[in-house]
Formats: sequence, structure tokens, C-alpha cells
Amino acid sequence: MGNKSSLMLQEQDIRDIQAETGFLPSQIERLYSRFTSLDKGDSGTLSREDFLRIPELAINPLGDRIVHAFFKESEDDHVNFRQFVRVLAHFRPIKKAQDNKLNAREEKLRFAFKMYDLDDDERISREELLAVLHMMVGENISDDQLNSIAERTILEADRDGDQMISFEEFCSALERTDVEQKMSIKFLK
Amino acid sequence: MPHYLQSRRSASSHLLTAGVTHYSTHSFASEACSRSLAGPTYRRHPLQNDVRMELSLLNMLWSPVEEAAAFLNSLEVWEAVRPFVLWGQLMVFVCFLLVATIGRRLKLRRKYVELLDGVFNFAAFKLADDTDEEEEEDEAATSSDEEVVICPESPRAVPASHEGSFRFEDPLPYLAAGMRAVVSDCVTKSFTSAELRTWNMLSRTKRQRYLRKSPSLTVFWAVGFVLRWVFLMPVRVLLLVISLTTLIVLCAAVGLLPSSAFKRRLNKRVVMWCFDFVAGSLSIVARFHNPENRPTHGIAVANHTSPIDSMVLATDQCFDMVGQKTRGLLGLFMGALSRSSYHIWFERSESKERSKVIQVIQEHAQDPEKPPILIFPEGICLNNTAVVQFKKGAFEVDSDIYPIAIRFDLRYGDPYWYQNTFTGYVFSMMTSWAIVCDVWYLPPTRRGPNESAAAFASRVKSQIAHRGGFVQLAWDGFVKFGQQSEAWQRKRGEWRQRQQDAFARRLSSNEAEERKRE
Repeated sequence: MGNKSSLMLQEQDIRDIQAETGFLPSQIERLYSRFTSLDKGDSGTLSREDFLRIPELAINPLGDRIVHAFFKESEDDHVNFRQFVRVLAHFRPIKKAQDNKLNAREEKLRFAFKMYDLDDDERISREELLAVLHMMVGENISDDQLNSIAERTILEADRDGDQMISFEEFCSALERTDVEQKMSIKFLK
Repeated sequence: MPHYLQSRRSASSHLLTAGVTHYSTHSFASEACSRSLAGPTYRRHPLQNDVRMELSLLNMLWSPVEEAAAFLNSLEVWEAVRPFVLWGQLMVFVCFLLVATIGRRLKLRRKYVELLDGVFNFAAFKLADDTDEEEEEDEAATSSDEEVVICPESPRAVPASHEGSFRFEDPLPYLAAGMRAVVSDCVTKSFTSAELRTWNMLSRTKRQRYLRKSPSLTVFWAVGFVLRWVFLMPVRVLLLVISLTTLIVLCAAVGLLPSSAFKRRLNKRVVMWCFDFVAGSLSIVARFHNPENRPTHGIAVANHTSPIDSMVLATDQCFDMVGQKTRGLLGLFMGALSRSSYHIWFERSESKERSKVIQVIQEHAQDPEKPPILIFPEGICLNNTAVVQFKKGAFEVDSDIYPIAIRFDLRYGDPYWYQNTFTGYVFSMMTSWAIVCDVWYLPPTRRGPNESAAAFASRVKSQIAHRGGFVQLAWDGFVKFGQQSEAWQRKRGEWRQRQQDAFARRLSSNEAEERKRE
């Protein structure tokens, strides 16, 4: 039998995670099954290579940023199951009847904001926006064109004229977007 | 991980199994095919497990059982029960022997399968109450699947917002698609044991909590456990040994005859009967559809699920196999088969082998006297829910191609090798209820005058996928081995480029609109 004591998820852990994220126990078990199947080294944690082993993620233009989002909270470059679920909880669909903590609209927007804001200074600078644009289009558009696109985007959203986008400006730029629908994925039971 | 491969090779050569010759295609993505010999490189996890899971479950129930056993022993009941168990085993053995040798005609296997069907329906009924309530609510709230498609072939980017230029919300669908891939992606799903909709009484396929839920189900499971491990498994092992020995001996005997039409006919009958015998020992119940399309010459291609695929097909038609040469007992077995017919064995590491093998295949396929060749163009095993891209090597040959679709009914037993070791795999198969499959013979096709080999391969792949009800994946087989394969590193950049191209196209069409307006 394996030497991992964490092979089986304890009832208490499931309850804690349910309280924190709002996932159902069956969903948590399923995510745990997924977690262990990604964990090739049987270490109880995931490394960046484990994530990038998923083919669809590896060829996603934003793949590296997505992986980075999981590792933001961890200190030692490894993601344990709680951190894994906590990040995924942001993408839970919003249910009217329930108390939504991590997947409320503001939390989702904050997650999207953090994807742009790499240096964590609560502002999206033009360079950060350019970096994301570059990831999305690759070599297809020249740098000058990209520059002008980025400038135009910032100009439209910038309220206080500091050439950077704060979280409030970000939220108002996305006011009319259906963030709840765009940033939700289906979790099977 | 060469040492890992070595241990697999020695393990497989120590165990006699027919059809474990891993008939990869002759067009060799070097590591990918040889790794299919070695099986998967990932571990078990608590919800789908190999035989050790069942034993651990047994541990849970063991203490009351132990007390009961001690009690019974003191009553000397075991002494009384033992002859019954032994008689039971003997009866099962005789039954199986009959079924394996002549059972096809008596349709005994099918009756067994129908009996199991009834039990599974009962289990499904018992478990059905709690699972279906909240599923409808989720449908509305999640992002629609018509948006971003992240795929090696024909990726699709989200239509950018109408006002033109880049908006902050444009990358969001890619973010969601990435998260969706983290939770569940089609590729990894196809390389793990498939999930069943109902419970089939094997603890390896259902979560532990369900076992404690309904007492009648626990009883069923316990009875099933005893049946499978005490009666079915030892009998099957014994029968397997007998059948394999018979196969080797008879093939060698036929091989002694001089080459003639009589020898070919005899070889055909002998090999088919022997493989049927072996298949009976594993309780393989196969149903063949459209026998009028059964291959008689040329090349047959099929989707690959497990090492026993070729054995299943060999019970209905005698094929010549294409495979990698191996040493040990497996090599002995392959040698024995070779003596009676013209199988094609090659050595993958030799560089000139590919063109040589294609030549041999071409000659073999065009000779109307020889039996058809069986090739698995995917190059790796999948879990029988999807097909990956077919390698074009087999489709370059100028001859009739007979597509075959093999679909296993996974409720009775899963032949996909997801266990860590070969013995684990064999035991898992031996302790399943049965291996049930449907085989469809599709009408033969040929490459069109202007059709490239790759296009032809795609065409045949979609035919097989339609018939068998498989998902078609645009991915190449070597993604199973992730970053370890150089082919993946090369292709990954290329595929990512395509996604970027798709997005850039959307963006620049918006830009053109914007500029027109200004």
C-alpha cells in the first residue's frame, strides 16, 4: 500500500473545504481524485511541471499565467490540495440561494485583475498589459501595433489619468461584461 | 526512464499471456510505442484503484470477519465447508473449460452476461436516489462551450467585443478554458480508466462511501468478492496456463508441416480455436457484427485499447501481426506463432527498419494467399472512449484497408491497462466479471487518387469513431507521455502558435473595423 497518509481525504478536511469554498463533498472528492492523478510523483503536492503536463493547458496562450495563479499563495513552489481547491473555487458558478464567498463577482474580478497585475502593486501598467497581449497574439502583430492597441485600451479605461489601471477602474471597465458567466466552469459531482 | 522500462519488460516476459505482443504500428514514434509496452506511468488514486484497494477495503471489514472466522474455527465448521469450496472450484473449472472450448456454440457466455446485467440494474436502482438532484441548476450558470476551442487542429478564438480593439475581458475565455482543462481535460481523461455510470460491484470503480450506504449492496459486493476471488480467479489462472501451452504446442506442430494450402487452412483453424480457448479463460465475450466485411486479405486497422485486442480479433479471423521483437517467454511465444504463419516482427531501434517493414507489409498485403495484417495505427492504448490521430504509415501502402471498431462494455470488466504493474493488470482482469466487447467490421476502402496518406488516415479514423461511438481527439498519441517525449516539445510550440494565430486574426479584424470608422 502507498506510504501516503493523504491517500484518503479525511472527513474533517472535506468539511473544512466545504465551509471555505462552498463545494459539495462529492465535488471535493472528484477534485481530489483529479489532484492525485495530476500528482505523478505521489508527493501530495503539485509542481509547475504537473500542471503543464496537461496538453490543453500547455498550449493555451495564457497557460503560464494560469499556472502562476495557483502558485501565488504557496511559498515553496508546490501547491497542496487546499490551495488547489481554493483557486478553483473562484470559478464556481454563482448560485443565488447560496452564500458565495470565493466565487462572488468581486472575487472573480479580483482574480482576473491579478492575472494582469504580475508585480502585485494593485495597478495594471502598460507593460503588464503589453505582456498579456504578447502572450495572446504571439508574433502575429508587430510591436508598434501592439503598443498602440495597449495605449488605446488603457486610455479608455483610465479615469484618474495616471496611465495605470487600478482595481476600481478595472471593475468599471468590466461593468457590462457578464463576468459571472465568462468566469464560471462546470464542476461535476 | 530506461530502468523503468527494463523492469516492465522482465515482468511481462515472466508471465505467459497470449496477445501481449503489443502490436503497435510499424511507423514508430520511438518512445511512444515502446512505452505502450510498459504501460502507464502514473499512479493509482483512491477512487479508481487496482486490486490493493479491494484488499484494503477487506481490511476494513476484516476484524468482524476475523472474529467470525475464529468462532467458526472453534466450531470446526471450516473443516465441513472446505470440501464444498473445493468442489465448487472444481465445478467452476469444468464449466469454464467447457465454455472456453465449445461454449461459443452453446451461447453460454452470453447468458452469464445477461445475468450480470440484471444485478447491475438492481445496483443502479439502489444508488439512483441521491445523485441527480442538483445537476440541472449548474447548467445555466457556466460559460457556454461554443466559445474558445483550444485544440491542435482548427482552434477557435472568441469573437472579440464589437466596439473593436482589445478589451480587458478578451482573455477571460482563455482563462476559463485553462481552468476547465485543470479540472478535467479530454486527453488525460482518455488515458485513465473510464468512469462508469452505474456501479458494477467492483470496489475499484466506486467511492467508498457508497459501499456503506445500502446494506443489501454491501452483501452483493461481499458475495461478488468471494465469487470472483475464490472461484473465478484460480480457475481462470489455471485455464490460462493450459490454453497457452496448448497454443504453443499446436502452433509448433503446425509449423513442422511443409508450406502448402492445407497448412494455411490448418493454421487458420488451429490458431482461431486456440485463441478462443485463451479468450474463454479470461471470460471474453465478443460479438462480431457485419461478418460480410470480415477482412480476407490486405490490411485491417482497429482502435487500440489493451494488449488483448489482437486476441479478441483473432478468435474470429486469423490475422498476421506486426510487432516489436522481444526476448524471453514472450519472444518464445511470438516465435511459435511465426512458425505457422507470416507474422512481421521488427526491431524498432534500427533506423532502416521503417522502409523495410513497409515494403514487407506491402508485399504481404498484396499477396492474396496470405491472411490479412492487423495494425493499430494509434500507436498507444486508450481507455476505449476516444480515438487519437492515426499514424499515416499503414495508409501509405497501396492495398485494401479494412477498418474495424472494437468497443468494450466496461461495466463487466475494464481491459485497459491502468495499473502500475503487469501482474496487477492480469489480476485485475482475472477478477473482473467478464470482458465484453462488440466488434464491427466496416466495409473496405482504398486511398483515393488525390488523397494524401494523412487525409486517408483521418477519414478511416472518423469512420471507426462513428461506428464505435468514440470521441475523436485531434491530439497525437505521444501526448500520453507528456514532456518526456521530444515530439511533444516540438509540437507544443507549434500548437500554441495556432491558438495565438486564431486570436490575432480576431483582434486584427477588429482593428480593421476600428480604423475604417476613424
